[in-house]
Amino acid sequence: MKCFSRYLPYIFRPPSTILSSSCHTEADIISTVEFNSTGELLATGDKGGRVVVFQREQESKSQPHRRGEYNVYSTFQSHEPEFDYLKSLEIEEKINKIRWLPQQNAAYFLLSTNDKTVKLWKISERDKRPEGYNLKDEDGRMRDPATITTLRVPILRPMDLMVEATPRRIFSNGHTYHVNSISVNSDYETYMSTDDLRINLWNLEITNRSFNIVDIKPANMEELTEVITAAEFHPNQCNTFVYSSSKGSIRLCDMRAAALCDNHSKFFEEPEDPNNRSFFSEIISSISDVKFSHSGRYLMTRDYLTVRVWDVNMECKPLETYQVHDYLRGKLCSLYENDCIFDKFECVWNGSDSVIMTGSYNNFFRMFDRNTKRDVTLEASRENSKPRAILKPRKVCVGGKRRKDEISVDSLDFSKKILHTAWHPSENIIAVAATNNLYIFQDKVN
Amino acid sequence: MEYKVEAHRIMSISLGKIYNSRVQRGGIKLHKNLLVSLVLRSARQVYLSDYYGGACLGSQRAEAGEWAEGETMESLEGRSSPGAAGADSCESETESRETLRAPETNAQASVEVAAERNAEEPASSSDYNWPQGGETDEERAPGQAEDSTQVPSCPVPESRFECGAANADEGPQSPAAAAPCCTRKRSAGKSPYAGSPVKRPRPGSVPPANTEGGDASEDMDTGNVSSLITIFGSSFSGLLSKDGAQAEPGAADGDSGSGTICCEQMLPNLSPWSTAIVAF
Repeated sequence: MKCFSRYLPYIFRPPSTILSSSCHTEADIISTVEFNSTGELLATGDKGGRVVVFQREQESKSQPHRRGEYNVYSTFQSHEPEFDYLKSLEIEEKINKIRWLPQQNAAYFLLSTNDKTVKLWKISERDKRPEGYNLKDEDGRMRDPATITTLRVPILRPMDLMVEATPRRIFSNGHTYHVNSISVNSDYETYMSTDDLRINLWNLEITNRSFNIVDIKPANMEELTEVITAAEFHPNQCNTFVYSSSKGSIRLCDMRAAALCDNHSKFFEEPEDPNNRSFFSEIISSISDVKFSHSGRYLMTRDYLTVRVWDVNMECKPLETYQVHDYLRGKLCSLYENDCIFDKFECVWNGSDSVIMTGSYNNFFRMFDRNTKRDVTLEASRENSKPRAILKPRKVCVGGKRRKDEISVDSLDFSKKILHTAWHPSENIIAVAATNNLYIFQDKVN
Repeated sequence: MEYKVEAHRIMSISLGKIYNSRVQRGGIKLHKNLLVSLVLRSARQVYLSDYYGGACLGSQRAEAGEWAEGETMESLEGRSSPGAAGADSCESETESRETLRAPETNAQASVEVAAERNAEEPASSSDYNWPQGGETDEERAPGQAEDSTQVPSCPVPESRFECGAANADEGPQSPAAAAPCCTRKRSAGKSPYAGSPVKRPRPGSVPPANTEGGDASEDMDTGNVSSLITIFGSSFSGLLSKDGAQAEPGAADGDSGSGTICCEQMLPNLSPWSTAIVAF
């Protein structure tokens, strides 16, 4: 099991924050984290509708120890709060998901979504500007034509690097319910957006039309029993996608089979253990995240207490089940009262699909090595944040004698939760969002 | 009876969440409220089945055969309304009930109301109609509207439902106990009237449903739960059916009328939910 060190002394706080780290505004809470396909860029979205993009420094021979730090590259306001006058509902500006498009030219493109609207942003650099206009002076004011006696052609001169983000497409009015996922198709032409009851397929070029491919809204809303919680396209089969439900099941659909994929091709569900039945069984079985492995052979799902890895070819039960924080099973009632039981944890694969990672409470996050079956609990905190300090594995004591360095279940801070994490697509660099702070950890290099 | 207390507490918390969801920024979250309604349903099942596992057992058993048949939705289809006798006592109870106020908890009331709403399906209420059906539906609906909370002490001593008396000491439970008796009637009266203000409805209907198995206590308990599940249907239906009814214009008056039932506090909680459902 690799050890992770805080190689990069990185604790990010949004530039607009003037408060100390102990108190932060709600708008600064990070709501999504995503590396792009090369790992060069890392985007974060927050509750205030802002997107901050980090770029990895180019490695330099002169400072090898500062290998690839991430610096702020661009910050922009992606979504603003809106008001639906027809329903008298406020639409939150919180960024629910960011997904990068594969890079095709010098500019970077990403999709960001709030509860209702998906936007395609272009992030481009400008390092030259034209100077010497004929009719305008340097301030931009028009010159008096009478004073112009010669012709000059503007030339491009270098300027300080400016990174600008412009919204290129706005995909609106596609959803009645709250959008929870977006996923870019491997065909690089389409993407899907998912709300509680419907999944829509969009063409990246067309904003005024989308195709509905899944609709689980019952004719009579009173018969509603489950909602869609997440969906993702297969990494290389452009016709295949999966979606997870609040009932703990996953459906794999093939778009070639029908225009409306209400009938699944595969149905993954593990029967519930009757011994564990409680008032909250349904809540804890609701899947909060589903991710294909990079290879496309496996699926990973996260429900409240576990992470499961499924073989796409085996529907009856998962290949592996990992307990994230089973010690919470006895505290479900309190977690229900304080709403923590509704927290939607995400899960991620590493680049080689050998390790999976997910978050927990008390700023803990867990990694499970699928090959060695070993797991580790790490903490994202300022105390551990000395540069090049190695993260110490943490342990939660579940009763009985508490050893030194262990933390008891009752001492866990449930307000410090790690819901969003990301893993670099090829290297062992992880980004962990702890409320309003972003931690970037890197594998120790010998 | 810790289960009952726990279930009751969970029901209260759940209802509070549903109420608060109305004022949360970003609109009502369908997923979260669906999960909360599932918890509410589970807690309600435990609460009521637990109740039935208690004092009422004996008397219920006696009525089991009669009640059971008339109760469940499925059974509604093909059965004649049994329990004529039960109906009689029910009626008497209902009347006495109208004068009583059950110290119903909000949770209980709302749950019951919600449950009742669920009854809409059996608008195959044909079976719900007791023999005295005729007078009943129309008459009863308004009467029941006021009646709401009932009486815990299902007081009619001559009532065959000793459970009522037995429950007198258990506040929250009594309404439930009383409910069964009147519920049937109410449901009968109510089902044809989507907007009827029937209050009590469901919880009451549950017990009889429970006794569907009717033979042994074990059967009864199992029957209870399955009946509840049947009646309640999907997780949403219980809440929604009630809300759906409330959403109708006609129901507005009913709601105010039913305010008398312990639902007073719950109504405001529930109507926003119905508004939300309508919005959805």
